[in-house]
Amino acid sequence: MDDMNARIERMLEQVQKAPRYTGGEMNAVHKDWDSVRLHYGFCFPDTYEIGMSHLGLKILYGLVNEEADSLCERFFMPWTDMMALMEEEDIPLFSIESRRPMRDFDMIGFTLQYEMSYTNILMMLKLGRVHLLSAERERDEPIVVAGGPCAFNPEPLADFIDAFMIGDGEEVTLEVTRTIADWKASGEPRIECLRHLARIGGVYVPALYDVTYHEDGTVAAVTPNDPAAPERVLRCIVTDLDSAYYPLTMPVPYTEVVFDRIMLEIMRGCTRGCRFCQAGMLYRPVRERSLPRLLEIAQKLEDATGYEEMSLSSLSSGDYSCLPDLIRALLKQFKGRHVSVSLPSLRLDSVLKESLEETQQERKTSLTFAPEAGTQRLRDVINKGVTEGDLMEKVRDAFSGGWSGVKLYFMIGLPTETDADLDGIVDLAQKVSRAYFEVPKGQRAKGLRITVSASSFVPKPVTPFQWEPQDTQEELKRKQRYLRDRLKNVKGVVFNYHTPELSFLEACVSRADRRFGKVLMRAHELGCMLDGWSDIFSFEKWLQAFADCGLDPLWYACRRRGEDEVMPWEHIDSGITRSFLRREYEKSLREETTRDCRKGCNACGLNRLKGVCAIADALRV
Amino acid sequence: MRMLCVFEKSERVRHIGHLDIMRTVGRALRRTGLPLSYSKGFSPHVLLTFASALSVGAVGRRELMDVTLDEDVTPEAFLAALNAALPPEMQASEARPLPEKHPALMAMVQGAEYELRLMDAEAADAFRAALPGFLAQAEIITPRKTKSGVKDCDIRPLIHRLSMEGDALVATLALTERESCKPDMLLTALSAFAGIDVPRALVIRRRLLGLSEDGTLVPLETL
Ligand code: SF4
Repeated sequence: MDDMNARIERMLEQVQKAPRYTGGEMNAVHKDWDSVRLHYGFCFPDTYEIGMSHLGLKILYGLVNEEADSLCERFFMPWTDMMALMEEEDIPLFSIESRRPMRDFDMIGFTLQYEMSYTNILMMLKLGRVHLLSAERERDEPIVVAGGPCAFNPEPLADFIDAFMIGDGEEVTLEVTRTIADWKASGEPRIECLRHLARIGGVYVPALYDVTYHEDGTVAAVTPNDPAAPERVLRCIVTDLDSAYYPLTMPVPYTEVVFDRIMLEIMRGCTRGCRFCQAGMLYRPVRERSLPRLLEIAQKLEDATGYEEMSLSSLSSGDYSCLPDLIRALLKQFKGRHVSVSLPSLRLDSVLKESLEETQQERKTSLTFAPEAGTQRLRDVINKGVTEGDLMEKVRDAFSGGWSGVKLYFMIGLPTETDADLDGIVDLAQKVSRAYFEVPKGQRAKGLRITVSASSFVPKPVTPFQWEPQDTQEELKRKQRYLRDRLKNVKGVVFNYHTPELSFLEACVSRADRRFGKVLMRAHELGCMLDGWSDIFSFEKWLQAFADCGLDPLWYACRRRGEDEVMPWEHIDSGITRSFLRREYEKSLREETTRDCRKGCNACGLNRLKGVCAIADALRV
Repeated sequence: MRMLCVFEKSERVRHIGHLDIMRTVGRALRRTGLPLSYSKGFSPHVLLTFASALSVGAVGRRELMDVTLDEDVTPEAFLAALNAALPPEMQASEARPLPEKHPALMAMVQGAEYELRLMDAEAADAFRAALPGFLAQAEIITPRKTKSGVKDCDIRPLIHRLSMEGDALVATLALTERESCKPDMLLTALSAFAGIDVPRALVIRRRLLGLSEDGTLVPLETL
């Protein structure tokens, strides 16, 4: 151990950003290793800066560490320079807190936030000297679990993960840690642990299911091969956020991370039903934290962290039922404490002018709008309930209120999109630009900057567009050029876009079946990792991995699924029914919108379950 | 009121850069609930200055900061509150009120005492043998890295004291806004003189020094 420490010290002197690995932050938890019976290694499959920006990490870290008989330590994906040194010095991946190797932990948990982090999972397991394949792990190796939004299609990772936790993690995590601790003490073989886990609601153990395929490669069925495994795994839903666990302290990184501030999750879920949005489906129904509980959390976190900035976090903060009251109360509570409150995902049709003006008191941030599509027709297709009138009104308010920076987010490659919809993007940018110049010179802030971002649409599981093909890369590139050439002429516009290769792979992975595990393994062997970093990402290696495994990436990304095709993830019950998704899909093709749930239940499937969705329950009486 | 405070930057956090240490102390102060003074202006920040930036990788045993408060607080209360708010790796050991007219700490720093812990016993032996000859030189020309490139400079007048304590080199070096000798410059010069490769060393800044009335270097916090 001491020798390992000396070698780690030597490595730290040579790496680029040592603070990624040294820990010792304010509020980091250091528990005595021998005082607990369960050691949980929480793994974020990306760098420290990204992982430490993630609210979910802080929730689980606090949750497990507050249990008297458990501890939780952090692991992140090391950067390439560190990996090279680890190999040189023969050091396995070690935890931030106690610098223990991954193998020493009873349980390793990965959070699945985006598909393109999967190669990092394999790399971290390899660096941690844990067998990559679930089937090969020995009894004394950690149980490897995973959760997060991407767990709703667990199949691409089925070969590597022992158990998935589906849905909200606050309650199921502790059931899983207790089960693993009990099993550890029992002396039973590893398979018994998997069986115990499979009996917990919301836990999916892929080894206990068999997948069969049709001749054309599509899935025929996914069926349990063990009595412990349920036919379908219903996701965990925390119904009351006020009583759900929320950390009242969190580690504060020394170095600046992506989101370096207090994050206040004001609600979970969204009632709008945008058809492209996976989060909007997966986090249903909408659940709010009460105002008093939020003020209490905010105060405790400010006391515990000393952060000077706070952001409200949710899919659609503008929809929080008493947002102006909340903002007013927060500003009052922190008056003289120099805490600025920012609203990150501003929904343009619900933010009140009044609250905008109040937030300006502290600091002016640039305003973000996400019309997603350039024409009303296409916005109807995707059910983005935003009109040009709304947007322009908010933009005018912002410009006359002293803002000069506006960010506009769009997607290209949406179902039914034509060049007329692209022209709509240009047109909208033009109108925004004009609105700025309409404000008299002395009254407007200097330096107009309209950032137009166009991301490539990726059809996701558990959305109405799960049947849709992605545009080919050639087509996406043509659309990017088309926009670039036209936006050039709009005053004040900066156009942002990325090569569509990463989106293409994301489209492959997100709807992949279990066979994709081989491609992932092959990509890992070929050296794929840190795919989210353009300087490291290698599209060629990924294509080779597909070719080596005899699978066609186009078949996964750019193929329209048949109406009756079994989706590889359909044994996972997200609560949202296939018939609702299909209905929404068909409506989208007819350019018909669906109302916001708050105006009436749309029978997404959660209405089948009592006590889950308050809106649906109210109708039941 | 102004409060002078002595704190440690320990081994575990030695790779944290100066700006990050400042931000961390700023946040720790905010957590204390002490009556902090803030700067005026668009984005107000805690009134807090450090005597000297400590380079990345170095440990500081007695680093100094100067905190401005809106109301009077006893040093004991200040210390207790601050230590409860700082991570265990950065604890404060002393605090003392400063007169309002006390010069800025930064302007008072004249030197620093360093311990350069050598990781390799052979290098320590070579240094021990080379030390008398090294110090007997009239000038010691060493490359110094500056913003405009590498320049040669004579560090002999900047070395106030130099000796071995076990396998550590202990040095009192000039550290002023005008000229200073960084520990790595000393290591480079001494290694070249002893004819060995520059050895790995853990740099520990033991204390910061200022000039007393009789012209001797004394711990800055006593002035
Ligand atoms: S059950 Fe009805 S109201 Fe509730 S989320 Fe689903 S569609 Fe909306």
